[in-house]
Amino acid sequence: MSDEEVEKVVLFCRELRAHGLSVTPAEAVTATTALQVIDTTDSYEVFVSLRSILTTSVDDFPIFEEVFKRFWNSSLSTRTTVRIQGTLPRQTSKGLAFFLENWGSSFSAGAQPIKVPGASDTESATAKDFSEFTNEELEEVSRLARRMVRRLARKPSRRWRPVKRGHRVNLRRSLRLSLKTGGELIDLMYKERRPKRTKLVVLCDVSGSMDIYSRLLLQFVYGLQNSFAKVESFVFATSLARITGDLKNKTYKRALDRLSANVRGWSGGTRIGASLAMFNELWLRRIDKRTVVIILSDGWDTGEPEKLAAALSLLNRRAGRLIWLNPLLGSADYAPVTRGMQAALPFINVFAPAHDLASLRALEPHLVL
Amino acid sequence: MREEIKQIQRLLEEQIYIADAAIATALYLSMVLGKPLLIEGPAGVGKTEIAKALANALQTRLIRLQCYEGLDATTALYEWNYPKQLLHLKLEESSTASETEKEAMIFSEAFLLKRPLLQAITEHERAPVLLIDEIDRSDEEFEAFLLEVLSDYQVTIPEIGSIKATHRPHVVLTSNRSRDLSDALRRRCLYHWIDYPSLEKELEIVRAKVPAIEASLARRVTEVMQATRSMSLSKIPGVAETLDWANALVALKAPELNEEIVAETLGCFLKDESDVAAFKAELPRICTDV
Repeated sequence: MSDEEVEKVVLFCRELRAHGLSVTPAEAVTATTALQVIDTTDSYEVFVSLRSILTTSVDDFPIFEEVFKRFWNSSLSTRTTVRIQGTLPRQTSKGLAFFLENWGSSFSAGAQPIKVPGASDTESATAKDFSEFTNEELEEVSRLARRMVRRLARKPSRRWRPVKRGHRVNLRRSLRLSLKTGGELIDLMYKERRPKRTKLVVLCDVSGSMDIYSRLLLQFVYGLQNSFAKVESFVFATSLARITGDLKNKTYKRALDRLSANVRGWSGGTRIGASLAMFNELWLRRIDKRTVVIILSDGWDTGEPEKLAAALSLLNRRAGRLIWLNPLLGSADYAPVTRGMQAALPFINVFAPAHDLASLRALEPHLVL
Repeated sequence: MREEIKQIQRLLEEQIYIADAAIATALYLSMVLGKPLLIEGPAGVGKTEIAKALANALQTRLIRLQCYEGLDATTALYEWNYPKQLLHLKLEESSTASETEKEAMIFSEAFLLKRPLLQAITEHERAPVLLIDEIDRSDEEFEAFLLEVLSDYQVTIPEIGSIKATHRPHVVLTSNRSRDLSDALRRRCLYHWIDYPSLEKELEIVRAKVPAIEASLARRVTEVMQATRSMSLSKIPGVAETLDWANALVALKAPELNEEIVAETLGCFLKDESDVAAFKAELPRICTDV
């Protein structure tokens, strides 16, 4: 193979990278090797060969085809891609930090119910709308969260682990041990199902429209985070912040203080699509089939619904289950007709309310994969 | 087109597998470059069939590993034959062999149960076709383990030592995209995507696989199936369903398709209650349109 051809392949790979495909040097080497064993005068053969080597998913096909056509016809293209850098519109509303700080202060002010217009008037504790909860009742939310996660951690998986005492004999280990006693099985070794390692990722909307619920849902997230299961938590409004570390605090009050310092400067609006896209970019690699992703949001999105749909579709394919909890779903006259919610629905596995304790309790079976 | 690729296409055609240039090229490269071939696509488009046809065409063994959640090394690679080991120890009770000798004896190849991956590596005669079916149904641990085996075709059994492949197997992995596979595994493989076939290709498949079918009926069946796929159904029927249906129609000696016959036999290609209802509503249109 001539140096010129090798150079062409290298340039082609560079062009693919410029269009967002990740091509490794090893794949470029394979591509040059492949060109030596195929008929390079047959352009379709070159096309399908390079495609099978340089793409890793059917999602890459359109980009590959476009780049291939342009590159292999006009040979060396020098076109560089222009990245459009957008800036987030800064809104001058009170902002998230303000709300968070206020939650913190209202928390220390003692048992004061938060009055909210249009709240439900039922009196029983479990059916009571979150918007009118007292601090003691909020504590109950944390307890519920911890209890749920504890129960989750006890579900058996399909994999085994060796144990000293159990019900199923671990023949492999027992036999090995029996050699010490001349092949006589005296001491048996056992095995048991390894507990299921379901991971939780919680994304909580803390924008202005969620204000009355965020306080309580964050309490729920705090409860989840402070159990021994693997939980990652995030808050989002116009941007996204990981709060796993912040929530690992002795008291909820201190956790909130850390949190509000962290997200200071955020505006009160909501850009769910952009926030989830940011989540995907940074954290999608950590999501697998054993991960349950919970989004807590009312679905009021000021961004484009297409962006939200794209982000959710990606997340849905990767995660074990995608749950969207919408506090508004608790009221009888609510229908998910906002453009954002409409775009989101096809990609959600479980769409459920989250406005009272009963609705959170009903969540438990959905957390088991 | 390269002569070898044409030959692969011909060989597959002899196995009644209609292969286009793209899949033949992918198979050729996979063999020449010694890389596994990852095939993705919707259910029922013949992903598994490729491996079977390839094994027949190469006149070699097909070793199949069906993946599921919790699949681990003992079911995929090897396991010791415990009852045989126990029995052997009992028989040897009175022998004077030392503990180490006994150990070496029962942990030897004769007591080894070879699971698909080990079978594929130790196949003596010629390189087999190793089909790792529905890899997306296994879990991440298994994927990582598989990556190790596929990188150097060598496995280590602590009691015996390393076993290296005598012939590098032709590896075909299939996935329905129920979850995203790891980047590492994808990059190790060549990639091929099979979509639902075009009308002409599907007709060709039906004629080849169901030779007893009348030409006009075959065309009608294919047309209805193509129209069905354009509906928004929860389970879109694949080529496998088309063939089931064509076979059923031949068995029923149906001379042509009318609403009545379609309604009676639609269980062949629709496997979901709500899909059946949706299809029945569209039935008159589908039967007159095409």
